[in-house]
Amino acid sequence: MFCQTQHYATAPAPERIEVFVNDKSLLVDPGITVLQACAMAGVEIPRFCYHDRLSVAGNCRMCLVEVERSIKPVASCAMPVMKGMKIKTDSPMTRKAREGVMEFLLVNHPLDCPICDQGGECDLQDQSMAFGSDRSRFVDNRFSGKRAVEDKNVGPLVKTIMTRCIHCTRCIRFASEVAGVDDLGTTGRGSDMQVGTYVEKMFKSELSGNVVDLCPVGALTSKPYAFTARPWELRKTDSVDVMDAVGSNIVVNTRSGEVMRILPRMNEDINEEWISDKTRYSYDGLKRQRLTKPMVKDDKGNLTPCTWEEALVEVAQKLTQANGNEVAAVAGGFADAESLVAMKDLLNKFDSEGLYTEEGFPSDGSGTDFRSSYIMNSTIAGIEDADVLLIVGANPRYEAPLVNARIRKGWMHNDLQVGLVGTEVDLSYNYEHLGDTAATLKEIASGKHAFSKVLANAERPMILVGNTILQGHEGAAVHEVVADMSHKLKSSKKVEKDWKVLNVLHRVASQVAALDIGYKPGVNKMTEKPKLLFLLGADAGLVKREDLPKDCFVVYQGHHGDQGAHMADVILPGAAYTEKTATYVNTEGRAQQTRRAVTPPVYARDDWKIIRALSEGSKAQSLKQPLQPSILELKDFYMTDSISRASQTMAKCVNAVQTMK
Amino acid sequence: MAKPLRRLQSNGIQGGQLQSLCRALVCTRPSSTAAAPPPQTKTSFGNMKDEDRIFTNLYGRHDWKLAGALQRGDWYKTKEIILKGQDWIVKETTKSGLRGRGGAGFPTGMKWGFMNKPGDGRPKYLVVNADEGEPGTCKDREIMRHDPHKLIEGCLVAGAGMGARAAYIYIRGEFYNEASNMQLAINEAYREGLIGRNACGSGYDFDVYMHRGAGAYICGEETALIESLEGKQGKPRLKPPFPADVGVFGCPTTVANVETVAVAPTICRRGADWFASFGRPRNTGTKLFNISGHVNHPCTVEEEMSVPLKLLIEKHAGGVIGGWDNLLAVIPGGSSTPLIPKSVCEDVLMDFDALVEAQTGLGTAAVIVMNKQCDIILAIARLIEFYKHESCGQCTPCREGCSWMNTIMYRFVEGKATPDEIDMLWELSKQIEGHTICALGDGAAWPVQGLIRHFRPLLEGRMADFAAKTAGEKLHGSLELQTRVQLVQITK
Amino acid sequence: MSYFLNAIRTELNAIKLAGGWKASFYRILRETNLRTGSLVGTDKYGNKYFENNAYFMSRNRFVVYPYVDRFDFDASQVPAEWHRWLHYVTDHPPTIVPPEERKFLQPHETNKTGTKLEYVPYSTTRPKIEEWQPPRTIDEPNTWIYPASCQLCTDLL
Repeated sequence: MFCQTQHYATAPAPERIEVFVNDKSLLVDPGITVLQACAMAGVEIPRFCYHDRLSVAGNCRMCLVEVERSIKPVASCAMPVMKGMKIKTDSPMTRKAREGVMEFLLVNHPLDCPICDQGGECDLQDQSMAFGSDRSRFVDNRFSGKRAVEDKNVGPLVKTIMTRCIHCTRCIRFASEVAGVDDLGTTGRGSDMQVGTYVEKMFKSELSGNVVDLCPVGALTSKPYAFTARPWELRKTDSVDVMDAVGSNIVVNTRSGEVMRILPRMNEDINEEWISDKTRYSYDGLKRQRLTKPMVKDDKGNLTPCTWEEALVEVAQKLTQANGNEVAAVAGGFADAESLVAMKDLLNKFDSEGLYTEEGFPSDGSGTDFRSSYIMNSTIAGIEDADVLLIVGANPRYEAPLVNARIRKGWMHNDLQVGLVGTEVDLSYNYEHLGDTAATLKEIASGKHAFSKVLANAERPMILVGNTILQGHEGAAVHEVVADMSHKLKSSKKVEKDWKVLNVLHRVASQVAALDIGYKPGVNKMTEKPKLLFLLGADAGLVKREDLPKDCFVVYQGHHGDQGAHMADVILPGAAYTEKTATYVNTEGRAQQTRRAVTPPVYARDDWKIIRALSEGSKAQSLKQPLQPSILELKDFYMTDSISRASQTMAKCVNAVQTMK
Repeated sequence: MAKPLRRLQSNGIQGGQLQSLCRALVCTRPSSTAAAPPPQTKTSFGNMKDEDRIFTNLYGRHDWKLAGALQRGDWYKTKEIILKGQDWIVKETTKSGLRGRGGAGFPTGMKWGFMNKPGDGRPKYLVVNADEGEPGTCKDREIMRHDPHKLIEGCLVAGAGMGARAAYIYIRGEFYNEASNMQLAINEAYREGLIGRNACGSGYDFDVYMHRGAGAYICGEETALIESLEGKQGKPRLKPPFPADVGVFGCPTTVANVETVAVAPTICRRGADWFASFGRPRNTGTKLFNISGHVNHPCTVEEEMSVPLKLLIEKHAGGVIGGWDNLLAVIPGGSSTPLIPKSVCEDVLMDFDALVEAQTGLGTAAVIVMNKQCDIILAIARLIEFYKHESCGQCTPCREGCSWMNTIMYRFVEGKATPDEIDMLWELSKQIEGHTICALGDGAAWPVQGLIRHFRPLLEGRMADFAAKTAGEKLHGSLELQTRVQLVQITK
Repeated sequence: MSYFLNAIRTELNAIKLAGGWKASFYRILRETNLRTGSLVGTDKYGNKYFENNAYFMSRNRFVVYPYVDRFDFDASQVPAEWHRWLHYVTDHPPTIVPPEERKFLQPHETNKTGTKLEYVPYSTTRPKIEEWQPPRTIDEPNTWIYPASCQLCTDLL
């Protein structure tokens, strides 16, 4: 947690103080809490409301511990350590306090564990076993019953069973601190207190699913996952998300060859422990619209299932007949590094250099020759160290929700100053809107703008430019201005030597790897008139049949029947990211691997294997437009690629955003 | 505004000065034991002389406006008091032995002294707690409606004593007339230049604002009051950081009761020794007592501290209805203190230490008298219902415990319970007490504890009556309870 | 001695009844035995039913299926009314006591196992994935049976 921030810390470390946990002496930094000190001593304190990444509420009272010379037990989550403090975590007073709090928590808890989705991974269950009393004294059940609370409808992702709520307020704090929407709050007081959205509305956040993980009981559970599996039945596979270019670390939970849910995996450098809703909930798209069998067009022009052999031979023949300058490949957003390399090798073998990515990037000037010009150089965690951030034509909130969460974190805790050039959007934190067009950017670069002073005075400035803008027709100009500006700022005396200024925010998971491998960015740069075109999961609809020569033979290799499959002559079914072990490089240039959690369906196979099998069968003979980010509103966030377009949950979200205002 | 606030709070936890504060406030009991008390020489208390009274218009017989206040000696030489300086005011308050009148009895001088640490550029604030919601207590409203200038002058003197920039008077929402009077008085004081820029011509700038609450009892708790003042839900904050470090709007703040603030100018004018001459050592001064319940003349009266309870009731309230022998019990310090039975009432003195010895507390000195015609179980049950209703719902023990205790207490009123549940209730109250962020949980637990401590036979008797009445009948759905009731009968 | 002569005579008679040496040879290849008996009856499917009480019980009643192909016969070709006689449920063959006509009686069917008409239970589990159906340029039913040859080459890659 501290490793990143300490890198730039200038103040000397304060003197460590001695505390005693259960008579065990321990040297700790002053300012940490009793709970943290106990954790260092290897003693875990039970807690409900306390969470590492949220502010301290101190209201569940489960973490009470005895501290010598204090008449009352103290809430260890909020109490800072003091010199010579003697903490007793297993004394009769501590145990009595925990037992008492647990009894009170269970008084109004419905105890419907058998039908509760949290069962098996419930903090209340676990802690009542460990710290609760062994019997109940609650006889008033017969006289007055338990409290019952009306369930709230907060949208298609989070299911609420508010009777189970223990009022830890984690969800409220998450919403207001991390997600930056004050949608959740409490109404009423005392035993009538309720957590909810005040009026019936959708919990409108791109990070809303994280409250499901945060909720220590079953009050907030996942709606699509409801009643489908128990945690002990699930097989967990560590993997990486590909729904955006952030590369969030995830755990894919599967049961009998089916993805049941996706949970975040902690990675301090990327996603901390949050994931976006698209990452979490679009997995049902992996089960719909799938390409499961190889297909070739029959004489009537219909795609007909066939054997792998037939399909591969068909493609190999075309490949063998075509000249090198008549073959091209376009890689889409989900292509993994292995298949990108295999495709490049295959085409190179046939004297073709026609390798393109669907997503564009300016190729004027140095283009993609230097890696630092197309990745996020100062890293996602580095945002926390920055003091001024200039966002150019990006909407990180929906293009990369976790980058946005980082920016918000820096804005909250480190006084990060944010300026935005581009369409004004709601970013969940305050920023200075500097202008709509690249003209403003020029002004800033030339020093005429008020913000140029702010940038010039910054010690760790960051410029974050969205790739949406860079692939537009003003992209090259924008990139030039931004690169110049970054270069100037970097050479300023105030900025440390190893601090990087220029950052590019990509939108799709495959882009950085493709550029690393040597793909040319953008289909509009295609010079070939292809007779044979490979679409490697290219589904964004940028390659159109009309633009291709009439006799062009299109081979689509991918996992979903989306835009690419509709124009294909041959379909080679590939594997989705949960079905293959493959490498992806995120926008920071960090290579990570997905792991195979389930097998590819029916006859679908790993992408690189398909290309390799194909090679086996074929033998060589020889600036005034607005800088508008791609996603402006929440409703556009949910469905951006072939997986999320196939997801019913995501469709429900879009509908909910439009109907539940 | 909200953003720098959060930063201050998180930094505040790590502040070095704060830790000494924590030690002072949490690890040791709040009392003035630091200085050895002077030996007790005075032996009789009460029967205070009229010229020693501070609140001379308590009953509203005179003009409450500025003219009347000036006649009664308010705003007399206020400038000179301010010019004597911060340290002098705090020293004088410390010397007078004044303890907070809001219920906890924390030494006022020490509390104000916390504010005089070297500042960091943040303004300091005085917040006057006029959210008087404790059942039985009605002292602050008398001050505010009949003597508002005492409070305004007190704000200025106390504010000067701690170097505060402004005072916020957080007044209970239901006190409409009191708020009107206060606002008029504040306007008068501004007009005359008594407060505002260059207050009283002393060169000290001091503003007084009034803020009306929305009628939640919990907003009388100092940190909840601060939250409410900031426009949030009135829910107590965690301490540390204490308000003296991070208070209202993130600035150092002292929250003081109306009475505490209102007596400050008089102490400074008449001298700390005069004030300290009343009452027993460590419990000095005069105090407003509210006597309500089964007495002939319920009243609010200013008396010397350490006045015997019996004298207070007999002399000022015209005695208990039905005579002293008809007395059943007294709640001596507002609803949240444990009751004391008649045997204790005979000779107990009304001050902090004596009542702590009697296992209760002075609280706000609101004496609630109950005679033998009163159903004391129902009375306590009603109090618990009040606390259940007013619990803010943050902490688990208070939120769940109060409603549970409430249902149990109402069963006890009928007697529909078994004697072992009395022990359970006792344990429950102990589970709530001291386990919550603020003292509301304690306040809810103590009346129950007082009842069980002194009236257990009454509770058991009522249960036996109920069991006898319903013997053979089917009890409300509970087979277990039936057998337990039968067991009780057998053991009898 | 006469026992052996008797046996030889019986066998020769059986060969004669079967239709000569060649026919007997094929009969043995097909049914592994060669029995003689008196013809009790013939059903409409062409099965011939014989009885020869010289054989011991359980071999004395037997059926000879009509010849279609060498192995193309099945025990389920015997209709119910002959089945009861053949399996000693009754001693009266349907030629003597014809079965009572009932309107619910179904025409006899042979076992379909191993043929194209065999019964295959459908899956009651929810399909884990939903396939993409390619768009059709020409209107025709959007269902197809997967080529049988492909079922064998599941592990081509």
